[in-house]
Amino acid sequence: MMKDRALDPRTKLIIVMSISSLSVFIREPKYLIAILVIALFVSKMMKSEIFMILKKLRRILSLFMAMVLIQSLFIKGGNPIIALGEITLLTDVGILRALEFLIRISIILLSASILMTSSSRELLQGLIEWRIPYEIAFMVSVGIRFLPLLREEIEDTLTAVQLRGIDMEKLTLKEKIHLYSNIFTPVVTGAILKSQSLSIAMESRGFRAYNHRTSYLKLRMKARDYLISSFSILVSILIACLYILR
Amino acid sequence: MISAVDIENLYFKYRGMEEYILGGIDLKIEQGEVLAIVGLSGNGKSTLCYALNGIIPNTLKGELRGNIKIFDQHVKDMNRAELASKIGVVFQDPDTQLFSPTVEDEIAFGPENLCLPREEIGARIDHVLKLTGMEAYRYENPNNLSGGEKQLIALGAVLSLEPNILVFDEAMAQIDDVGKERIKGVVKKLKDRGKTIIMIDHDFNNLDIAHRVVLLKKGKLYDFKGEL
Repeated sequence: MMKDRALDPRTKLIIVMSISSLSVFIREPKYLIAILVIALFVSKMMKSEIFMILKKLRRILSLFMAMVLIQSLFIKGGNPIIALGEITLLTDVGILRALEFLIRISIILLSASILMTSSSRELLQGLIEWRIPYEIAFMVSVGIRFLPLLREEIEDTLTAVQLRGIDMEKLTLKEKIHLYSNIFTPVVTGAILKSQSLSIAMESRGFRAYNHRTSYLKLRMKARDYLISSFSILVSILIACLYILR
Repeated sequence: MISAVDIENLYFKYRGMEEYILGGIDLKIEQGEVLAIVGLSGNGKSTLCYALNGIIPNTLKGELRGNIKIFDQHVKDMNRAELASKIGVVFQDPDTQLFSPTVEDEIAFGPENLCLPREEIGARIDHVLKLTGMEAYRYENPNNLSGGEKQLIALGAVLSLEPNILVFDEAMAQIDDVGKERIKGVVKKLKDRGKTIIMIDHDFNNLDIAHRVVLLKKGKLYDFKGEL
C-alpha cells in the first residue's frame, strides 16, 4: 500500500513532537481537551487510520483503562466520592487525574497515527536528514518491524504449551504467572537468535561498510511543509504561553 | 583461469566449543560452476557458508585456520564492501532477511550501503525486479507476501549487489512447491548468465541444476554417492 506523501515526514515529525510535548507539559483538563481536539483534527486531515490503530491496540486498551482506574483509586487528595467507613476509595481529584491521564494517552495515540501515514523508511530518512546517526535511526525502525515477530514468537510458544494439553482458560492467576515465567526463556532465546540472523543478513549486504551511505529515497521539503512546520511550532509556543500565563 | 572459490585446509570451531565443526576442508569451485553441498543438520554447512562471506570470523567468533580465497583474494583481507559485492548469500528464513517497509526499499538497502549513486540504485532495482518477476510488488510490504515471494525478494536484495558468487543456504527449505519452482527458475537464469552458484540443501529435488554435488559430513567434504 502506498503511503501518503503529501507532506514531508519531517513535517509530520514536527507536528507530532509539538502535540506530544504539549500533552506532557500541560496538566489541566480543559487545555488537554483542546489539544486532543487539535490532534483529532490534524489526524483526520492527514487521513490517518485512527480506528485501525485502536483495533490493533484493543488488547492494550484494557490495560490503559486498568491504569486509569488504579490512578483514580490511589490519589487521595480532594473531596471523597466513595468511602468505606474511614477509608476513602475515590476522590474528585483522583477522577480528574485519571481523566488527564486518559486524555494524554489519547493525544499520544492520535499523534502516532499521524506518523503512520508515512512508511518507516520515510521516517527513517527524515531522521537521517536531521543528522540523527543512521545506525540509531535504523535500530528504532527495525525494532518496530520486529515487534510483530516477537508477538508471533510468544503466540507460537503458547500454542505449543496448549498442544501439550494445558487449557489456559482454566489456569489460576498464580499458575498463569508460573507458566509465563517458564515460557520467558524460549521466547527471549528465539528473539535473540532472530536478531542474530538479521544482523548476519544485514552485514552480508554491506551494512556499515562505510561511515556514510547514499539513499535512493529523496525527501524534499516544499513551501507547504515549511509553512505547516512553522505554524505547528508557533501554535505550540502560543498554547504553552497561554497555559503558563493563565 | 583463477578459481571462483579456493579453500585450503579449513578448520573452524566456535568460541567455547571443544570440537571443530569444520575439520579440514579443501574445495575449489570454478567460475560459472554450480556446486551443491548436501549434508545432515549440524555438519557445518551453514558454518562453511559464513566462512565464505567473512561473517566468520568478523561477526561470529571462533578459532579459524586455513585459507579461503575468492577470485584469488584472501577473504580475511577483504573489507565488508568488497565481500558484499563479490559474494551474496540467501539464507533459509526470509523473515530474518527482510526488514524494510517496501520491496523497493529492501532491494535498495545493499546498494545504498555501498554508496552507489541514486540513478544506479534505481537501475539495479528495475533490473532485479524484472529478473525475479516481482515488478508488480515494488511498493508492497514484504510482510504481506507469501513465503516464496519473500524469498524471491531476499534473492533480489542480494542480486542488487551484483555479486559474482551466490550462495543459497537452504534457501528453499521453508517454502512451498510453487515458490521453489519460481526460485529455481531464477537460479537457472543466473546459471545461464555464468554466475558461480553454491547450493546448500537437504532436498535432492532442488539439486538437479548443479554441475557437481559434494557431501559435508562431520566437518569434512566427500564426493556424494547418493546417501547422506
